[in-house]
Amino acid sequence: MATTTIVLGRRGALRDGGARLRTGRSDVRIALLFVAPVLLGLIAFYIVPTVRGLYLSFTEYSILGSPEWVGADNYQRLLADPLFWNALVVTIQYVLINIVLQTAVALGLALLMHRVAHSTVIRGMLLMPYLMANVIAALLWFWMLDYNIGVVNQLIDGLGLPRVAFFGSQEWAIPTQALINTWRHMGYVALLIFAGLQAIPETVYEAANLDGANPFQQFTRITLPLLRPVLALVLILTVTGSFQVFDTVAVTTQGGPVNASRVLQFYIWQKAFAEQEFGYGSAIAVVLFLILAIVAFIQMRVLRGNESDLA
Amino acid sequence: MKKKALGATALLGASALALTACSGAAGSGGGSGTIDYWLWDANQLPAYQQCAEDFNASQDDVQVKVTQTGWDDYWSKLTNGMASGTAPDVFTDHLSKYPDFVKTDQLLSLDDLDADTSIYNEGLADLWVGQDGKRYGLPKDWDTVALFYNTAMTDEAGITAEQMASLEWNPEDGGTYEDVIAHLTVDENGVRGDEPGFDKDNVAVYGLGLNGSGEGMGQTEWSFLTATLGWTHTDKNPWGTHYNYDQPEFQDTMAWWASLIEKGYVPPLETTVGASVSDNFGAGKAAINVHGSWMIGQYTGYDGIEVGIAPTPVGPSGERASMFNGLADSIWAGTDNPEGSLAWVEYLASTDCQDVVADHAVVFPAITSSSERAAEAFAAKGVDVSAFTVHVLEGTTFLFPIAENAAKVVGIMKPASDAVLAGTAPVSSFDQANEQVNALFQ
Amino acid sequence: MSETRALLTAARRRPRRFQWRLVFPWILVTLAVAVSVLPFYWVLRTALSTNSMLASHSGSLLPAGFNLGAFARVFGLQSPAEAIAQGGSGASISFWTYLLNSAVFATATTVCAVFFSSMAAYAFARLRWKGRDKVFGLFLATVLIPPIFTALPNFLLVRNLGLLNTMLGMVLPYLFMTPFAIFFMRQFFLNMSREVEEAAMLDGAKHWRIFFQVVLPNAAAPLATLALLTFMTQWNEYFWPLLVASDDSTRVLTVGLGVFKSQAPQGAPDWSGLMAATLVSALPVLILFAIFGKRIVNSIGFTGTK
Repeated sequence: MATTTIVLGRRGALRDGGARLRTGRSDVRIALLFVAPVLLGLIAFYIVPTVRGLYLSFTEYSILGSPEWVGADNYQRLLADPLFWNALVVTIQYVLINIVLQTAVALGLALLMHRVAHSTVIRGMLLMPYLMANVIAALLWFWMLDYNIGVVNQLIDGLGLPRVAFFGSQEWAIPTQALINTWRHMGYVALLIFAGLQAIPETVYEAANLDGANPFQQFTRITLPLLRPVLALVLILTVTGSFQVFDTVAVTTQGGPVNASRVLQFYIWQKAFAEQEFGYGSAIAVVLFLILAIVAFIQMRVLRGNESDLA
Repeated sequence: MKKKALGATALLGASALALTACSGAAGSGGGSGTIDYWLWDANQLPAYQQCAEDFNASQDDVQVKVTQTGWDDYWSKLTNGMASGTAPDVFTDHLSKYPDFVKTDQLLSLDDLDADTSIYNEGLADLWVGQDGKRYGLPKDWDTVALFYNTAMTDEAGITAEQMASLEWNPEDGGTYEDVIAHLTVDENGVRGDEPGFDKDNVAVYGLGLNGSGEGMGQTEWSFLTATLGWTHTDKNPWGTHYNYDQPEFQDTMAWWASLIEKGYVPPLETTVGASVSDNFGAGKAAINVHGSWMIGQYTGYDGIEVGIAPTPVGPSGERASMFNGLADSIWAGTDNPEGSLAWVEYLASTDCQDVVADHAVVFPAITSSSERAAEAFAAKGVDVSAFTVHVLEGTTFLFPIAENAAKVVGIMKPASDAVLAGTAPVSSFDQANEQVNALFQ
Repeated sequence: MSETRALLTAARRRPRRFQWRLVFPWILVTLAVAVSVLPFYWVLRTALSTNSMLASHSGSLLPAGFNLGAFARVFGLQSPAEAIAQGGSGASISFWTYLLNSAVFATATTVCAVFFSSMAAYAFARLRWKGRDKVFGLFLATVLIPPIFTALPNFLLVRNLGLLNTMLGMVLPYLFMTPFAIFFMRQFFLNMSREVEEAAMLDGAKHWRIFFQVVLPNAAAPLATLALLTFMTQWNEYFWPLLVASDDSTRVLTVGLGVFKSQAPQGAPDWSGLMAATLVSALPVLILFAIFGKRIVNSIGFTGTK
């Protein structure tokens, strides 16, 4: 049910809605009506399960039996579990590679779309990978990057270079997952950044041109800073989504080779469903949730996504 | 105006909801008189569909509905079904999963059937008796492993079918088994593995294909070798509680196998992630693949490849060996129609159904007479399955290890075996893995 | 913005000289498009191949053993025996049922989620009430919840409501909200110009009426964009429908595709069938995209500013 959600534009410029007209009167009643359905969804399908998950993290539970309270045992166990720390390290590796790659490529594509490729057809073609379900994209690349009979390695071999075990070697396992994820999302993220680019008025660039600034200077001094709110939000949500990577790993390497791609979400699934230790898996999930909250908080502060230099 | 707008949107929302409620009516066939039966192998679906139709036609009380779900999703759906009370009445069970189902009281005992187990191939029926002495499954089929090899390659290498059928092995130098593997390995310059100048870094065809590291079971990877050294996975089988991965027989075999990779006769582990080992065989990248009888259809189906099948090599014990796996059908404890379920399981375990399965020539049914019939059906298709049946005839099978905590054992042994095969850990690291595994049983 | 338009029009009127400095960027664009689109060629090529010949012809750029069997399998036109002979599984595929189910699932969740989310977004953007920002913060936080927490409890809830294997049970968690939709619409509402609203308020109209008669029509463009994006995401949902709808009558297309994945342990997937199914299931979204593409691509980043 989780999707990599991306938000655009300037969030957080919270203005009070219509306070000028109504004299301090609260719209609570009508607001409740408007918000009721989503609140219902939030409570029933997000909050209640999370609270229950929190409770389960203090138990031993195998799904087919009933939960047994064990206090903080699961948490003690996970602190001493080398596979947990391995999962953390591996996930962070993935997040770093994926975000850097994806953001750089998407930024580049956005610039290209802004300056060079104005055609809707081209922009549309860049969005095509997103049309494929995540699981299918993973399977497709699993096939194309296969060491022996994948077309990519056949090409590499044809060029006289040594074949690459994209999914099999411990060095390449995580970067390959990042590559697949970037392939699928680069057009989509590029379009979002592109929207931010469009919001920057041409006049600023013209003034810079008159002052004699070269394209590189324009990029670093004008484009990047003015893109900050958009980039900040894109980053926050893509980072969160990356920490939760699961689909592609489950379908391709399943945590291997050895433990090179055993990311947090996969380890959680392995413990909770495959090995029937749902309580322990829940504890790890709680830790993941806390990590995400901290990371998101830091990002919000550092990137100051609430403000915009444009206004 | 306000009412109109409200009305329109309400209608839209309501119709969306109505659409959802109307289409796809609840249809999980829970009424009495209908039995839900699940299996995973789509290749066997036509045979079991036939059995179901025959069964349904033969009596009026029970109607069987067959559903197939692929292996990847089968167990999680089953477990979720058990947790939520929507599991099927009868389902195909697996030896590695059923101990945990018994532990959590999810299976109904079949003792009421008072079945005659002598009609099954020896040993199969015992596998499905729990530690409490009750029977939880009636055997349905069995499988063993053998060597699938590319006859064009063996012909070119001057190896005859008789030679392939009488290979020998030992953990020190690999015996004629290793000799053949080395000879069938060819590097990019056409130099064979046992000739001078062999370039192990540029191999075009590997003598022996690699499926994976075996994950602690080694059904098609190494168990047929360790068994010839007298090694068993657990202290007793079924229901062992102590694993033996720290014993020299196991470690020596793994060391020998890893050495083949170093010598360049077997592909490095990292190259095997991705396409299946059988597809690599089909692409002509390996000369021999050790695999199970359920893969016969796959191997014989490759375009442009003629396949020979040879039995596993004879080891130091003087005999060959093969793991003997057998599936069975179990009844879920939460079924609302126990009598109907028992009747269906009885039918599945009888010659009425197993002969039908035999004729489809996909697997070997458990009943001795039916499995002979299957061998004939395979022969009619041009496949000689004697390499698989020889183990049953000569009694050289050993049972699949039945113990609790199977998934956790795999969770420990898979990374450990992967590391050894990849050369990043010594064979002695299995001592530590063994300790972790045995700790699960304390 | 009008200045930009003037600049662009001016640029178009000028005679087009070949600009060398554009060569490198265009090479990059071509590369990007190639990387995005070429894998789809590979999908097509594999879909038109015969399974047993794929392994031996792995380097060929053309279909290995040209064969339309895969598409026949996808549409359920092959008998089980034929299917198995071609390397597929003998399981039946009720393609049109799955297609309908996917369409209903995606449409229902999109319509409801977008509608309810817009209402909530309006409340967060325009209405004043105590705790508004805190509650919004709560919605933001839902993005951080690991899916494993929600999957099993939601499954149990749906079961307890007796809605397993029904379309209603499948759409339930998505029906009321999608976090993305709320952010997206709130963003738009925040930046939307206030004049028309203020005029309506001066006329004495209540919020409810303003919402339906003024705000929503104004928001047609981003609503359409949001709907299309939500539809695309819902169309590709896999794990939840797999959990909830195991019955053939309620299965959706993505789950139905599972029949092409490997059926037995250590077996190989029905590659040609899988690729054919991928193409066919992407087709409806592709068509939608072709019709509404310009609108999505150009307003995907709609922030509400001109």
